[in-house]
Amino acid sequence: MALTTLILGLVLGGTYALLALGLTLQYGIARIMNLAYGEFTLVAAFCLVALFQGAGIPPLWAMIAVAPAGYAVGWALYAVMMRPLVTRAGNSGRLEVDSILATFGLLFLIQGVLLVVFGANFTSISYLDQGVRVLGVSVAANKLIAFGICAVVGGGLVLALHFTRWGLTLRAVAQTPGSAPLVGIDVNRMARQGFALGTALAAVGGASVAMHQTFSATGGVVFTMKALVIVIMGGVGNIGGALVAGLALGLVETFVATAIDPGLTLAATFAIFLGVLLWRPQGLFGRG
Amino acid sequence: MLEVDLLSVSYGKHVALDNVSLTVSPGEMVAILGANGAGKSSLLGAIGGRVTPAHGGITFEGADLLRLPDHARVEAGIALVPEGRGIFPGLTVAENLTLGANPRHARAGADAQRAEILALFPRLGERLGQVAGTMSGGEQQMVAIGRALMSAPKLLLLDEPSLGLAPIVVQEVFAALGRIRETGLTILIVEQNARATLALADRAYLLEAGRITGSGPAQELRTDPAVVRAFLGGAIPAEQ
Repeated sequence: MALTTLILGLVLGGTYALLALGLTLQYGIARIMNLAYGEFTLVAAFCLVALFQGAGIPPLWAMIAVAPAGYAVGWALYAVMMRPLVTRAGNSGRLEVDSILATFGLLFLIQGVLLVVFGANFTSISYLDQGVRVLGVSVAANKLIAFGICAVVGGGLVLALHFTRWGLTLRAVAQTPGSAPLVGIDVNRMARQGFALGTALAAVGGASVAMHQTFSATGGVVFTMKALVIVIMGGVGNIGGALVAGLALGLVETFVATAIDPGLTLAATFAIFLGVLLWRPQGLFGRG
Repeated sequence: MLEVDLLSVSYGKHVALDNVSLTVSPGEMVAILGANGAGKSSLLGAIGGRVTPAHGGITFEGADLLRLPDHARVEAGIALVPEGRGIFPGLTVAENLTLGANPRHARAGADAQRAEILALFPRLGERLGQVAGTMSGGEQQMVAIGRALMSAPKLLLLDEPSLGLAPIVVQEVFAALGRIRETGLTILIVEQNARATLALADRAYLLEAGRITGSGPAQELRTDPAVVRAFLGGAIPAEQ
């Protein structure tokens, strides 16, 4: 029982951690707080389902296209919608507020389109849902695959951020954007890359959600809020913190759902969030 | 190599630079002397791309520099060590140096360049893993200068490298600048420490309230009574 909770919690937490990683990249590097983040997750999830049900393309194959497609969408969105806000804000710090308002609008726009195209019903697919025994516990294969994808993508990104020149450049921009041009870094270009990369992670997260969870067109905001909670719990800009906090949130939710009541998962999430905000606003792993 | 032509910079109604012209030739070390608020940082900021001039022109190796955004000027071969240093305080010394070699032309020779910089500033070699923001002001200045050199610049811009440093550290920084100068690198330096700067530089310009009020070989300016009074403080040195 406890082992089941642990494994299912880690599976859920893997998706959360990946989602949080994308949000923190967008906020940390592009300085854009993307309230429509969860909608991109949903768009990817719905596309995966549509491709599977409509064209018979297995989600694992579709997955390969999801990340680059998410990157391209993020790139285009930054160029069309965010760049004018960035240009207008200059160094005034208005970007944060402007981006929150703009992406709040984008949230409803995407949600409206999803409702029209896919309807308001809960959606799920049955794909690779035969049980696999892990440490004596039966876990659906799709959950394990989803977790594996999150672990590979999230882990790969963390390694790239810490051990490549590209990752060093991203960290430099995230920490001290004012100094970046002194070493020839084009901050706007990195911001666009960070935003696009974050969107790609939202899409991969969405694809993994589609493989093993039930979701609906109006549920995007829950993904955004959970990712935000994890980012704040982990300490804003702290990649490792986001990963650990993501896994922790998955474990807590699974524990609450199995041991107390499934209806209380969201309440538990926000109870933790409030606690962190009140007592450790710098995050569980933040300094200070 | 660098030509600044009738450059003006203003912040709102305040005119920081008023029709400033100067040239720097290859291999030269040129100093700009001036008091606080004379417009020295605005001048280096305009060359480095951090400040947008109201009018005037800057050409570097014959190309119009004002058309390039700030980050592209590093690629063009201009490295700025700004006032306040502009290092990455949250990253280690080694990471700061690696980022310095970000321009494409600097990457191939980065390892050799790094070895030279560590020979120049042995203390950086001992502290490669230290987070730069936790170092002393003098050490951070060494990181900033070392990082600028990592970009294999053709022109090094130094904005008040001795500002806020203890006298003994100032000596150390100037000793290092002397050795950098011996490599033949072209340097444009802005300083309040006129005596030490004139001892190193080939030529100097005097900047007062945004205007160039004088210029000449450093040797001559060191003994010019007006310069001594305004910038060096006190009487002409005894050897006169």
